[in-house]
Amino acid sequence: MDLGPLPRILTVILCVIGIGLCFWVGRVNYKRVNPERKISVGIATLSSMAFFKLLAFAALFAIPAGAVTFANYQTFEGVHAVESCERCHVMRPMATDMRDPASTTLAARHFRNGWIPKDQCYQCHSDYGLAGDVEAKMEGYRHLARYTTRTYDEPIKFKGRFHNDNCLKCHAGTPEWEGVKSHQTVRARLEESSLSCLNCHGRAHPTRSARTPGSDDYDRLMGEEGDK
Amino acid sequence: MTRLRLQAWAAILALLITAAFAIHPGPYEMAAFVFFAQPLFLIVFISYAWRVVKDLRQKGVL
Repeated sequence: MDLGPLPRILTVILCVIGIGLCFWVGRVNYKRVNPERKISVGIATLSSMAFFKLLAFAALFAIPAGAVTFANYQTFEGVHAVESCERCHVMRPMATDMRDPASTTLAARHFRNGWIPKDQCYQCHSDYGLAGDVEAKMEGYRHLARYTTRTYDEPIKFKGRFHNDNCLKCHAGTPEWEGVKSHQTVRARLEESSLSCLNCHGRAHPTRSARTPGSDDYDRLMGEEGDK
Repeated sequence: MTRLRLQAWAAILALLITAAFAIHPGPYEMAAFVFFAQPLFLIVFISYAWRVVKDLRQKGVL
């Protein structure tokens, strides 16, 4: 479910309210609160002690819990967008190439022909994205930790194994795919991913040499060619 | 329960990181939220709950 920018807006609103309330709670000395004093909160009148205890509950539990919930929408749903992937500069060559009308890579052909209308990275790589199963989430967090601690070498290399299921989930069963004789010949091997779809259909993304900083294609793939 | 100053400041720090992540969800902001702000919130929750339980025990409610 795509909620657009609403969860982010709600997160910021809750954070601002929470920060204000935390400032207030941090200044309260509960031993000096006069329990006889009454505070009106519109619909009810509370003793000042009850009011400040409710305030602490809101500031230290309820509002932070709400902020974390809405912020996690971004970590689980927001990361599906291509823009989210390319915020890490090592992923930018893949996104730039995908949008290049002259590129012949599989990603670019899928993008150009509108075969995947949105969240193109996620649709093909959802077996290891941040929104997959527990193992997939751990893998996503590992990528995040490696990137932010700069414990990686450029160009990055996909260490896992790309499962053909990611291709077959759309293609298998379609008349076009079933009608190709060679697909039937190697069907079992394709289904168990012992034979890659890329063997016949070309590469999915630019080569590692093209993605290496300093290469002839690097500036173009980083979208920086026009900046010079 | 006397003061909740430490818990309040920890929550303010975690809320600031969360707001930064919501405004600009880049990789560094996301890492700060996932690996620092969320554990900090957990520490705040546990610490606050512990103070509440201690308070209730002192008053003989628990």
